[in-house]
Amino acid sequence: MPKNHLPLAIRTAFIVLVVLVWDFSVRFGWIDSLFLASPVHTAEKFAATTRIALPHLYATLTAFTVAFVSGVLLAAVAGFAISLSGYSYKVFMPLLVLGVTVPKVTLLPLFVLWFGIEKTTIIVYGALSAFFPMIINVMAASLEVKPNQVVLAKAMGCGKLQTFTKVIFPAMLPVLSSGCFYACNAALMGVFIVELALSRFGMGALVHDLAVTFRTAELYAAVILTAAITVAINMALWYAARHYSRWRA
Amino acid sequence: MKALVSPGAARSGVVVLVLIAWEAFARLAGVNKILIAPPSEVLWQIVRIFATSSDVPDFYPHMWVTLWELLVAYAITASLGVLIGALFAGSKLIGDAFEPIVLVLYAIPKVILYPLIVLVLGIGMVPKIVFGVMVGIFVVVFNTAAGLRQVEPMYVGLARSLGYSKGEIFFKVVLPAAAPTILAGLRLGFGYTIIGIITAELLVVNAGLGFLIDWASFNYFTPQLYALIIITLCVGVVGNGLFSVLERRWVR
Repeated sequence: MPKNHLPLAIRTAFIVLVVLVWDFSVRFGWIDSLFLASPVHTAEKFAATTRIALPHLYATLTAFTVAFVSGVLLAAVAGFAISLSGYSYKVFMPLLVLGVTVPKVTLLPLFVLWFGIEKTTIIVYGALSAFFPMIINVMAASLEVKPNQVVLAKAMGCGKLQTFTKVIFPAMLPVLSSGCFYACNAALMGVFIVELALSRFGMGALVHDLAVTFRTAELYAAVILTAAITVAINMALWYAARHYSRWRA
Repeated sequence: MKALVSPGAARSGVVVLVLIAWEAFARLAGVNKILIAPPSEVLWQIVRIFATSSDVPDFYPHMWVTLWELLVAYAITASLGVLIGALFAGSKLIGDAFEPIVLVLYAIPKVILYPLIVLVLGIGMVPKIVFGVMVGIFVVVFNTAAGLRQVEPMYVGLARSLGYSKGEIFFKVVLPAAAPTILAGLRLGFGYTIIGIITAELLVVNAGLGFLIDWASFNYFTPQLYALIIITLCVGVVGNGLFSVLERRWVR
């Protein structure tokens, strides 16, 4: 076997092993099938569950898109405005870093109080989750812009708009795109938290209902479906972030 | 141009301004008292909660539940995370084989797995600890691996040529060089572990600060709700502050 295939072989063997242990622990009754569905049952239910899940998936993805886009745009505008002056950068940066690290999920009962058990709560909380990682990255991105280059662009006769599109924005792009990656991850997490807590809309509600009614095989199928879709979204953004950082290498 | 006030002072000014605006809004705008509580009343509630003279039942037992879950979860997050990260950095084969799996797991919003954890592990402290670890561990793994990998091979070569043993090289050269990145990972991991624990407590309510927050919101005890939320947020702020002190002391 050529040496560079060895990691792939180990990985595949490991995944097969996990699926086998999963299967055996149900087959031989180590874990009650009420709590753990076997991979075979999960696979059998997969197509049917996907059909049930489609409207929920649509609700989740629209809520996520609105939350993600509004959180990111708000963060971009606010972050850019704050970064225009080095002084306001120093004033606000520590507060915003705090916004990332504190457990914002405790605010959820307040949001329910203010916005009700409606879709608004999902979108507001998802947008808030996306806002903080994004604004930190927008502000960090502003440090990537070298004042010399801006002066040079001006000296070469670029207008304000041209300086922005040709010099400032390209310099910020790598950090901005990795900010989008983190914001996307946070927004997905935020949307699912509220959906699970309210259990009225989206995949979170479906997963919650399947869990409390012990429809275990469908539950595993729904979770795997959700995980696959979110991984695809995250990976797409991850590759985009890498793509836009390439010129730096 | 030199600024008139230091950024720190201006920052405090911003915070005070927000508090004043919040107080004024809560008292003068005529909003329903169930929706918003003025900060002065919230502060008073915080004092009463700590003095156990408020309506909040069994504050200290519930807080210990949360802190205990957090400590156990973080001990696992930190030790297991550093161990896995070191394995990834130490052996190229292990790294190449398992890192893609960890990356994919990282990309899953963990909260969607929480119903499964509850189904298998019940509703006690264990599922909350497990969920805290699941949310917190990834950043520790990635930062440890990245920190150990970015150590200049030249330093290791130099230490070897000076006759250092393998153990000495690891503890005196590699670890100090990787420490800033690893510590940053441990700090972020702590923040994520708290988020995991509180999320878990709020989604399956039976004990801890999450229980109290749910109790206050269910009964529309708004000032108490605000007070409990701020106490919970402060756990994160205090933990983060501790790490900043540690980082300043160790990373030189």
